[in-house]
Amino acid sequence: QETITWKVQSHWPGASSSYKDSLGRLKDQIEERSDGRLKLQLFEAGSLFKAQETFNAVSRGILEMGTISPSYASDKMSLAGIASGLPFAFRNVWEAAYFHQVLGFEEMLREEAAQHGVYYSTDKVYPTEMVVKEPIESWEDFTSLKIRSSGALQKFLTEAGAAASYIPGGELYTALDSGIVDGAHWGAAQGAYSMALYEIAKYHVQPALNIAGTDAIIVSQKALDKLPADLQKLVKDVLQEQFWYRTNEYQYKERVTLAKAIEEEGVKINTLPDDVQDRLVQVAQEMWDEEGKRSDNAAEALQMLKDYLGKLGYL
Amino acid sequence: MRAITAFMNGVTRLNNAIGQWVSYLVFGMFIFILLEVFLRYAFNSPTVWTNELTQLLFGAYAVLSGGYLMAHRGHVNVDLIYSMFGTRVRAVIDIFTSILFFIFTLALLWFGYDMAQESIGNWETSYSAWNPPIWPVKACIPIATALLVLQGIVKLLEDIAIACNLSYYDPEKDKVVEEDPKGEQL
Amino acid sequence: MSIEALTLLFFGSLLFFVFLGLPLAFVLGGVSVVFLYFTWGFDSFYMVASQIWSTMGSFTLVAIPLFVFMAMILERTGVAKDLYRTMHLWFGGVRGGLAIGTLVICAIFAAMVGISGAAVVAMGTIALPAMLARGYDRSMCLGVINTGGGWGILIPPSIMMILYALISGVSVGKMFAAGVLPGILLMVLTAIYILIRSNLQPHLAPALPPEERGTMREKLVALRSIALPVLIVFMVLGSIMGGITTPTEAAAMGVLGSLIAAAVYRKLDLPLLKEASVRTFKLTGMIMWILFAAHAFSAAYQSMGAQALIEGFMTHIPGGPWGIIIAMMLITFILGMVLDPVGIMLITLPVFLPIVESLGFDPIWFGILFVINMEIGYMTPPFGFNLFYLKGIVPPGITMKDIYKSVIPFVIVEIIGLAILMIFPEIVTYLPDLLF
Ligand code: NA
Ligand code: NA
Repeated sequence: QETITWKVQSHWPGASSSYKDSLGRLKDQIEERSDGRLKLQLFEAGSLFKAQETFNAVSRGILEMGTISPSYASDKMSLAGIASGLPFAFRNVWEAAYFHQVLGFEEMLREEAAQHGVYYSTDKVYPTEMVVKEPIESWEDFTSLKIRSSGALQKFLTEAGAAASYIPGGELYTALDSGIVDGAHWGAAQGAYSMALYEIAKYHVQPALNIAGTDAIIVSQKALDKLPADLQKLVKDVLQEQFWYRTNEYQYKERVTLAKAIEEEGVKINTLPDDVQDRLVQVAQEMWDEEGKRSDNAAEALQMLKDYLGKLGYL
Repeated sequence: MRAITAFMNGVTRLNNAIGQWVSYLVFGMFIFILLEVFLRYAFNSPTVWTNELTQLLFGAYAVLSGGYLMAHRGHVNVDLIYSMFGTRVRAVIDIFTSILFFIFTLALLWFGYDMAQESIGNWETSYSAWNPPIWPVKACIPIATALLVLQGIVKLLEDIAIACNLSYYDPEKDKVVEEDPKGEQL
Repeated sequence: MSIEALTLLFFGSLLFFVFLGLPLAFVLGGVSVVFLYFTWGFDSFYMVASQIWSTMGSFTLVAIPLFVFMAMILERTGVAKDLYRTMHLWFGGVRGGLAIGTLVICAIFAAMVGISGAAVVAMGTIALPAMLARGYDRSMCLGVINTGGGWGILIPPSIMMILYALISGVSVGKMFAAGVLPGILLMVLTAIYILIRSNLQPHLAPALPPEERGTMREKLVALRSIALPVLIVFMVLGSIMGGITTPTEAAAMGVLGSLIAAAVYRKLDLPLLKEASVRTFKLTGMIMWILFAAHAFSAAYQSMGAQALIEGFMTHIPGGPWGIIIAMMLITFILGMVLDPVGIMLITLPVFLPIVESLGFDPIWFGILFVINMEIGYMTPPFGFNLFYLKGIVPPGITMKDIYKSVIPFVIVEIIGLAILMIFPEIVTYLPDLLF
């Protein structure tokens, strides 16, 4: 029987838990269920293409599969901004999962990606949380912070009054250690732990800055179409299961990692005071409307989100 | 023949002029980084644009050096075996190895053009907090590669002239022009 | 075609064209394109363009033009010359004194930068003419700069260590701490080598004749000239350690310092700035085009299945745990001759690390050995970034052959250092255990 091998470029480095847990699982599932007819050859972050280039490579059919953050596809998908997380929208992970899979946001994403020859599937939804060196106990504490950030959250934190600057991942540890910044976000607990940020920043800030489908798996439509019908279905089924499995597992691992950080590194949870949270939500909502202006699609998704949050009693 | 000489001189002059101007971008990078450090440290208000602008300047700066370096023999090579031969043999070797040069640069030109065209097509921005247009820097890739290819053609024409003793190029005359007034290689 | 055969062809054609004198950047780029065509097809050339775009977007590389610019200004204003004159007055009585002084400056430079190219080019510009002018042997000078300039990745801060930490999951802080003593060890070993060699063969690194060594008064007066270099070091290192700048941003502080120095020397004028920026452009461009092509080359090699090759190798290694560690060092060393360090890490570490850990070795200790090996890879012929960077700045009389020959003893010294660290792992683990 014929064996097909797909080249898969990850946006996670090998040490990232998601490299094994998400991509490794995907590989095992697909290879096992297809009896080895479809194989995945995995490449660590940056091996063949830089993260920001992976969408283009998959879209051109040079790579059969890849993992990305939706923000890396911002120029191609007008929904990328909403997919990679509006600040202070959801309060629980299940809310974001329901929004994607049941209310139809995932379907909207898929349609936009399809226009570029890409089959889009969210890997998981999860929170992005900050770590800081000194606890935030007041609005003044927050606005005097220097925070390492990136993308939409950098804009949000800046507009909220903190001093957010972008520092590349490679220099993050040194910058936080020497005090160039007082805080940073890199995923949530697992991200901070993998970057050893807890060694130098002992306060884990909650609630999350956002909760979103920050990791996605993309497949070249060309490659997908070349598969026999049963394998096409298999790939899509595995991806669909992956979302629920990984969203749950990630939550579990977040908690385990945080518990470990508390135990081993003496990390403390810093819950933002209510007035700080209220003011952040205010700033955030102004930013949401900006995202809605990107396209008709984005406006529709934003309206859907607002209706949903209204039902949940948050708006 | 005169047309060939004019072409060669024209390309070299073009690359020289562009290189001269682009080399000043280093001041931009220096000033913007310094500004960022100053604003962040002294006023606790880092900007969203300085580092990214520096990055974009650097990208253009780095890639646009290709043709200028080619004109000044600045792309470093191994002269171990090469230096044992005379000028004509070297020219023949260079004509042969230029195949690899053109394979690389033409592939880069093709796909760099493709990449830039797509970027310009949707006026691509970076989608960072600052969100500046990045298509001009992407467009630098095919532009720089084209300049490099042109200079590579000049080099090939020189080598052919040396190898076949043709009159449109005089290596002795060129040497005088090429030489740095301070007598160093750079 | 099997990956073994591909590897031989891939590296074989690389060496063939390098030795035919085609510039390195075009050899790397051209060979990548040809092999991509036969393994992956025409469309995959997009990867070459894409790798170049990615390299243009690497913020840490911005430090290269800035540090090079700093060196160009220092060299032209005479600050560097005065520094060497002072060093010569003070240490000129010792055979090899200037070479050891250069090593110390290299180590300080290494503490300021996280990457390798900037230091080699900068020190080559400053130190090479100064040493040659004082009768030092060509090989000695080249070797010292090649070795010392490469310490940027070994002495923290180091991009390579951060990358290792990201791939392996060890703590960055511990890696940094672990690199300090080995860095000092290598410095001491290299200094010992210079002392022994220059006492056996005084003509290699001549001492200053007694009548030229100057009086105490002259020596003290000369000390004034180190004030500015010290100020610059203070500005750069101080702003990194004081939490004012990241290592990349610190390069701009270095430029600021050198401009101040130029002003003090009354040399700060437009012609100087113009000349410095053109020279900086040429050297940065040289480094960057090599990096562009090298990144494309390692991506191409990885896409052909390089990792599977290493995996296959590792299953046939005799000699127990130490046999495996030594085999890993050998593989890294050999890959270091032809591939860029980031590529080597991405290809080998995912294979090596699980084995290292299952054998019960400390991944931090292994990481330091790995980084040193990488640093040796930078300076071993035929292909090593430091060698090419150095070639880009030497005066016309010095050939690649001179550079190749010059590194041999220094590579041996580094290998001895590596062996010492393997026998006494405490040198690596002492500081991280103490601090964390
Ligand atoms: Na360093
Ligand atoms: Na090497």
